[in-house]
Amino acid sequence: MRAKFAAVLTVAAPIVAIWAASPALAGNSLIAPGKKAAVARSTLSVTPSSEWNKMGARPGRNSETWTLDGDGLNDVTFYGGVGDGQTLFKEVDKANRPLPRVSSTMLVTDIPTLLENSYRIALGTSLISIDAIEPTSFAGEKGVRFTYSFTKQDEEVRRRGEARAAMVKGKLYMITYEAPALHYFDRSLTAARELADSAKF
Amino acid sequence: MMRMRALAATAALFGFASAAAAAPKGADTARPPYAQAYEPTTVDERGLWQQLDDAERQLRDSKFVILDPALNDYVRGVFCRTVGDERCRNVRIYVMRNPNFNATMAPNGMMEVYSGLLLRVRNEAELGAVLGHEFGHFELRHSLNGFKMKRISTDIAMWGTLLIAAGGNDPTRFQMGILSRIFAYNRNQEKEADLKGLEYLVSSPYPSAAAANVWERLMAEADATAAGRKQKAQHSYAAGFFADHPTELARAKYLRDAAGKAGDEGDPAAAAYRSALDKWLPAFLDDQIKLNDFGGSDYLLQQLAGDGWTPDLLYARAELYRQRANPRDLVSAAQFYQEAIDKGYAGAEARRGLGLALIRSQQGEQGRTALREYLRMKPDAPDASLISTLVAD
Amino acid sequence: MLHLKGLAALACAVVCALLLAAPVAAQEKSGMKPGFNLAPGTARIVLMRPTIKVGAQSTGGMFEPNADWTAQGRENLGRAIAEAQGKLGNVVVAYEEPAGGAAGAAEYQALFTTVANSVMTYQFFSGNRLPTKKRKGQFEWGLGPGIGKVSGLQGADYALFVSTEDQFGSTGRKVLQVAAILAVGVAIKSGLHTGYAGLVDLKTGELVWLNADAQMGGDVRTPEGAARRAEQLFKGFPGSTPAALQVAGR
Repeated sequence: MRAKFAAVLTVAAPIVAIWAASPALAGNSLIAPGKKAAVARSTLSVTPSSEWNKMGARPGRNSETWTLDGDGLNDVTFYGGVGDGQTLFKEVDKANRPLPRVSSTMLVTDIPTLLENSYRIALGTSLISIDAIEPTSFAGEKGVRFTYSFTKQDEEVRRRGEARAAMVKGKLYMITYEAPALHYFDRSLTAARELADSAKF
Repeated sequence: MMRMRALAATAALFGFASAAAAAPKGADTARPPYAQAYEPTTVDERGLWQQLDDAERQLRDSKFVILDPALNDYVRGVFCRTVGDERCRNVRIYVMRNPNFNATMAPNGMMEVYSGLLLRVRNEAELGAVLGHEFGHFELRHSLNGFKMKRISTDIAMWGTLLIAAGGNDPTRFQMGILSRIFAYNRNQEKEADLKGLEYLVSSPYPSAAAANVWERLMAEADATAAGRKQKAQHSYAAGFFADHPTELARAKYLRDAAGKAGDEGDPAAAAYRSALDKWLPAFLDDQIKLNDFGGSDYLLQQLAGDGWTPDLLYARAELYRQRANPRDLVSAAQFYQEAIDKGYAGAEARRGLGLALIRSQQGEQGRTALREYLRMKPDAPDASLISTLVAD
Repeated sequence: MLHLKGLAALACAVVCALLLAAPVAAQEKSGMKPGFNLAPGTARIVLMRPTIKVGAQSTGGMFEPNADWTAQGRENLGRAIAEAQGKLGNVVVAYEEPAGGAAGAAEYQALFTTVANSVMTYQFFSGNRLPTKKRKGQFEWGLGPGIGKVSGLQGADYALFVSTEDQFGSTGRKVLQVAAILAVGVAIKSGLHTGYAGLVDLKTGELVWLNADAQMGGDVRTPEGAARRAEQLFKGFPGSTPAALQVAGR
């Protein structure tokens, strides 16, 4: 999710209005179906059965995002081996809004909490809840599958998410799929699930 | 408008004079006259109001608004008791789900109160102090003045930057000077609103001494946050260059001085406040715990437990410690969960937290026992199937 | 509450931005669902409450809302839009908030903004396009078929979303613009006139047409200007011809 590291500075400093951001040189690339693709600079790979766009901007060092219509409308993010003491994604304000960190001794039940708390802080929202949680096999490892819903601060779009994750040798591997609850979540759910199903080490 | 400002200034004088003369407690007759719901007349004011009317429309439909009528009525009641019926009549209050300590009031009469504020004040008097401060901005019509001041200053800043850049000098020094003027203006406004809020308290059933307490605790919480993050505490008497508000230390001092002069008394209504918040406390505590601020959250919990550790507070503390999860934290967490259970914490979650804390601190057998109890109490829990796998090991 | 370090960084960054500000290129783009056609007089269109912001942009770039201008803009643009559509013989009706509040419509309004931003970011602007959105003649965007069930939209065929924002550069801003070019060779943008208009098929939820413009013309505070703006907003509107869209008073 690129939006995770958008600056959240709520000061109405007048002069900042003229600072017009130019579109980033993105380097989005096409993912063709049928070919195995290594993701998130890790040993994790998926084999898409339909085409996707890979976004040039990364949420964090060991993560990457795929999308169909733009990350605000559908967002599959891969986390490949977030290690002990690392955060899920880049911190915007490390001193005042530090993100929670992975611990190599985390229980599988701690994974949804890590995501929830990271989002609360990074997106500045209290409107997030973890809904269902169940054990699952993820990339051949014992892991957890959970669903969640959230709304970002300053936005009124209800969003839903579904994630699969596992701790492997003390590192967190995870695939999340997020989209607006209205129409978009259901629309790409099957394709996103196929990606997660195909995950392998 | 000049007439309005003169009226407000006179009102302020009158209000303070009556406070110094120790006006009778709680009598609304002691309050200065209030010009009715103000209609904007100058072009600037109408512009800002219109923006806000669209904004209020959005606010009304926002998912972040807490709709509970009981809570809304209660907050409104405290506000009206603080500023008087005449003033509170046309104000619309929106309680927002947001863990930060904040309340804002817009020039069109809409007020937002964050749940983080409700979590931190300990009685009706303290809540009234903060809401009164916000209404003070409104009555003194600060928003627009601030807006105008910013416009003039940024114009100067822009010109200055260009000239200096053209001349090859360092533009940042000049820039800083202008910014300091903008923010200094805001600092004065904040102090005015503080003192206005105190006036309201003096005329209300609440003790004005409550105002200073809020800031003192906020400072202590910030210090605790910093300590928890192994950072230096930030407080100094003089406001830092970029501080929009006078520092909490300065505020606490002048508020305490002013309250001392007023010499009013009253019932801060702590028990009534706790009772009104009871239903929402677990949710607000949850929002706070999840902010990854161990020091600040632990301080807050200890403050709230001043009159005794309730099951809800113990549960929250246990969650906090289990979250940080240093080895000793897990032992403490287990202890707090057990205490909560012993004191009658009703929810099955306490067994869950206890079980997980024990398992993670190498006490697997006891941990699994607790988890089994969790599953027995709540077989349809959303994570029942996952917890079952931990029990089976 | 404010943070010391953040603001210091911001002040410095702003100074740098001032010196390095690049001009925003003219960006007017539109997209239409391939093969979509709207014959005049065949459709009933509901106009969602337009988002209209009109104000001034001070020398320092700060937005100053102006109620008179906004009211004028809303009135003029509202009339101009109705006229432009009226010229095509299509019926445009303003959305009426149902008794229970506008929560349902608000959800779609929010989603529309997200979709329109995605269209602009990932299809219209060449720097950031997604490969699957680059294909010739393609325009596949929508809000989902559920929109037809929103109360207040029954009986209509399309929903029209309109949003404009105008910040008129003050005299100081304009003078600054000149001085900036002369003194340090920096091009500073004066004024801001952006807008988009989107048409959604209420049977399918598809966004059949979207117009996005970051450099709109026409002063919405005057009837003539609003007419010109409406003309621009609806440029390329399905089923229209340029001649038909010309509104009297131009």
